[in-house]
Amino acid sequence: MTEPIVRVERLTKVFRSYRREEGLRAALKSLVRRKSSEVAAVADVTFTIGRGEMVGYIGANGAGKSTTIKMLTGILTPTSGDVVGNGFVPWRDRTRYVATIGVVFGQRTQLWWDIAVVESFRLLKEIYGLSEAEYRERMALFDKVLGLGAYLHQPVRKLSLGERMRCDLAASLLHRPPLLFLDEPTIGLDIVAKANVREFLEEINRQEGTTVLLTTHDLADIETLCRRVIVIDHGKLLFDGALDELRDRILPITSIVFDVKRAPDARDLEWNGRPIREVGLHRYRLDLDRREAAPATAVKEIVNRFDVSDLKIEEPEIEAVVKRIYQEGIS
Amino acid sequence: MLYFSQYAKARLEYRLDFFSSVFASFLGTAAAFGFLLIVFSRVPAVHGWTFEEMVFLYGFSLIPLGIFNVLSWNLYLFSDRYLIEGRFDRVLVRPVNSIFQVLFEAFRLESLQESVTGIAAVVWASRKMGLSFSAPDVVLFVLWTFCGAAIYLAIFIGLTATSFWIEDRIGIVPPVFNLMQFGRYPLTIYDGWIRFTLSFVIPFAFASFYPVVHFLKRGEFAREFWAVPLIAAACLAIAWTIWDRGVRRYHSTGS
Repeated sequence: MTEPIVRVERLTKVFRSYRREEGLRAALKSLVRRKSSEVAAVADVTFTIGRGEMVGYIGANGAGKSTTIKMLTGILTPTSGDVVGNGFVPWRDRTRYVATIGVVFGQRTQLWWDIAVVESFRLLKEIYGLSEAEYRERMALFDKVLGLGAYLHQPVRKLSLGERMRCDLAASLLHRPPLLFLDEPTIGLDIVAKANVREFLEEINRQEGTTVLLTTHDLADIETLCRRVIVIDHGKLLFDGALDELRDRILPITSIVFDVKRAPDARDLEWNGRPIREVGLHRYRLDLDRREAAPATAVKEIVNRFDVSDLKIEEPEIEAVVKRIYQEGIS
Repeated sequence: MLYFSQYAKARLEYRLDFFSSVFASFLGTAAAFGFLLIVFSRVPAVHGWTFEEMVFLYGFSLIPLGIFNVLSWNLYLFSDRYLIEGRFDRVLVRPVNSIFQVLFEAFRLESLQESVTGIAAVVWASRKMGLSFSAPDVVLFVLWTFCGAAIYLAIFIGLTATSFWIEDRIGIVPPVFNLMQFGRYPLTIYDGWIRFTLSFVIPFAFASFYPVVHFLKRGEFAREFWAVPLIAAACLAIAWTIWDRGVRRYHSTGS
């Protein structure tokens, strides 16, 4: 691995939550004594990220992804453990640290809601202390790659989700941070907008060597962008390695789903020792273990054997992979 | 400063709306002066304070109050807007002190009216009483005004910061806000408890009453007058500490 830009060691965040009881009596009682319970949102997580890497940080809802990102960006102070990013301890040197990072939360915009996009950028220019020349050069790049120019003069609240996300990405990269954190950057976007976002991130990573840590629920984000994934569940780190390795190890199943025009012969409903199941009207499915046979071979055989009108290949979803890891652990 | 011009720009685009809120705000201030007028139409002095002196006091108290009101808008909304809606995340990932961002993200520009009205009242009362101010007096006047605004801001920043610990909204801000009104009348008309509170617990008296006594050359409370910058600095330091501790406790929202 190249020189580390982020070091996370035994990072833990415990939230204390107070249960709210129903009824007036319980409410009054809770004024005196509240029942509290402790939940470790992130427990004992350790990893490092090398300069220029793009790493996917995945896990089911509530696994602790956002909590980790919030500690790495200095928003939350951890209960225990260490983080060093760009040479700073995020929560201790927060103002100096955040000047060297970019952050995007897909769920809500980082821009000012009521003012025109370009005014938000002008404010950020002042906040990060950019010169006029640097600012212009940056904006020209964003216009070229993201096509920002078209809606620069509209207030953020009037933008579509895809447009807003492009603005947020541009805003997070205005000051050329070497380190970028993205929390669900493609959530709610249509296919075209998702592709735009991914292309832009690849471009920035290639051109400027920006290190990226991103959380997502969309496996395609990881597949196009990240060679490495980190999986957490219930706050614990479960896997850290290549995406293919993860999928092959955990859920090496590829499904081939196809429609036929004529009902097939029952004898044909088997391939390489695996059953082909009827899953709907004229629709069949073959679940393959990728370690035993290449999906391409199976597809060829299916097309030969049946009168296929439609066919698609399904990879296991990230949630299913993560669920499997949690249920069965990593062997 | 840039935040300020940015916001002013956004607000002035709705010019009519802006002027009507300035007017509404001014009516409220004018009504308070009207009240003084009515009281003094029956009695020549209250606790040794003449009408002109009272106008001077009220006018002076309005100057820092106006500055405070321009900046404090987001403090009232802090818990809802920043903590519950989760906007505070955004504040924390910017390399500018979080309290400055919160204060400068929204302004009640129309409250500047209060400072202007206050200056007008002070000038009118001074002329009427034949008070003259030397250049050092004017410098002190300006500095003490800012100390007053700092005291107001510090107290409300400290109170607002309690919402980092207490999620449920508690009714502590409105009563304290009402306590500010006491500062526009001479402290000597109140009984001991209120005097004590306004001087040592929530030191609003240092933002208006003690400075005014000096400027009116009444020869009382000299010690308190010179303590004003110290009190302001102490309030700011306490507020800063509470805020900083609060930020460390901030636990964001789930997403």
